[in-house]
Amino acid sequence: MSVSAWPFDGVPPSETHRRQRAVGRVAFGAAGLDGRTRPMRIEESGSMRIRLPKGGGKGLDAVLVNTAGGIACGDRFSVQVEAHSGAAVTVATPAAEKVYRSDGPVAELAVDLKVAAEARIDWLPQETILFDKARLRRSLSAEMTENASLTVFEAVVFGREARAERIQEGLFEDRWRIRRGGRLVYADTLRLDGPIDDLLRKPVVGRGARAFATLIHAAPDAEARLDAAREHLASIGGCDAAASAWNGLLAVRFCAMKIESLRAAAVPFLLAFRGEPLPRVWLS
Amino acid sequence: MPIITVTAMDDGSPTALARGGEAAILPLFAWLSPSYPVGCYAYSHSLEWATEAGDVTDEASLVAWLTDLLALGLGRNDAILLSHAYGAVEQGDEEALAAVNELALALAPSAELYLETSQQGRSFLDATLAAWPSPRLLRLEGDVAFPVAVGMAAAAHGIPLAITAQAYLFGLVQTLVSAAIRLAPIGQTAGIRVSAALASRVQEIAHQGMALALDDIGGSTFRADLGSFHHENQYSRLFRS
Repeated sequence: MSVSAWPFDGVPPSETHRRQRAVGRVAFGAAGLDGRTRPMRIEESGSMRIRLPKGGGKGLDAVLVNTAGGIACGDRFSVQVEAHSGAAVTVATPAAEKVYRSDGPVAELAVDLKVAAEARIDWLPQETILFDKARLRRSLSAEMTENASLTVFEAVVFGREARAERIQEGLFEDRWRIRRGGRLVYADTLRLDGPIDDLLRKPVVGRGARAFATLIHAAPDAEARLDAAREHLASIGGCDAAASAWNGLLAVRFCAMKIESLRAAAVPFLLAFRGEPLPRVWLS
Repeated sequence: MPIITVTAMDDGSPTALARGGEAAILPLFAWLSPSYPVGCYAYSHSLEWATEAGDVTDEASLVAWLTDLLALGLGRNDAILLSHAYGAVEQGDEEALAAVNELALALAPSAELYLETSQQGRSFLDATLAAWPSPRLLRLEGDVAFPVAVGMAAAAHGIPLAITAQAYLFGLVQTLVSAAIRLAPIGQTAGIRVSAALASRVQEIAHQGMALALDDIGGSTFRADLGSFHHENQYSRLFRS
């Protein structure tokens, strides 16, 4: 485990920050070569690591590991993934990411994805679990060319189910920006701030649902796949889910009372929609 | 009929109407009336699905649904977008205007909500360019988001921002109340009460929105947005969203 103090603000850390904050950064690039994807550049620092388990496919499976064992108040993580021309990279995490209660400071996680011509990135981390009083601000920025393919799936659950935990107070901000050919084509900021459990009860927010997921598929084939996506969703139960497609984007949203119900819907959907196995870490 | 005027030096306070100065706000009454050729009556912003799903069943649940939709998503975000489009036109900053519009369009979470904002925005701008032309009305090619179009037109004609943002949000309320009446969870009289009940909240949200940055845009209306996905496949529909 590698944890370093956060030497900011011009004040001695001992006065303002009693706890040491985790900082981690990973930058990873891959290139397409003779129809296969090869890692090019790996930079790791702090508590973030990237692992490349051997896979049988043409693409490269990467697993992001946070050795700090979760996200606590004021932690800062950044992840950059670049798929160069012809590369296909799938990024996953080995388990659900826990976000612990914060005594004030907001933890930040920034994800930057770059997808070159004829390249593909599938960003498929496992769900994020927020504890009561967790404070997390997450951003995902993607830059892609017109003929690149990007699939992003993120799930979040508010409160630990085993403890029937309710989030009386917290912050969750998830800011997505996707640029394609230099133009902003998708922007979404999901923000639940304050009495999250009260918010979740509202019909416009969740009507009591506590697990949410969004999938965005941005690719030349996105709109053509709407009917197939709907068919994949038709057979699922216990989870409110639907798809929509417009302007070269396909969006699928999932909303469920429990993360198990959401996973029970999302896993078969992802399998059918992607037409290939999920990263192995998803199944362990 | 008395001519309604407001101060040209609007400071954004709700009492601006009571002060001196002269700035015509009459165009707003035309622009945000249901007869303005933007086709607002064709959209329900997923209220049709919310009615089908049993989220909105009567006057009280409609007030709650609309209040949350405005405060936790659509209303607040549109007020921010409208204000920034207004500012860009005031400054004659075409680049800033294009950026606000690009963001506003990218924020649509589904096909139907994209159609709702882009079709009304384009129609509004075309109608306004024809009837209320102004050299200050910067041209935007292609799709235009509705709050951006309204903010542009108001700035070009010197209509105070605060009153524009409130009128725009109140127009939105009335569009949705009129949809609710047609969808039948409430009647005409209850509809009027709902509009009246939301007036002060609309004022608050408009004022908040005026002070916020584009990066403050965001919301928690996940399930209402998901409702617009479902609406695409809803059996028997009156509305395009």
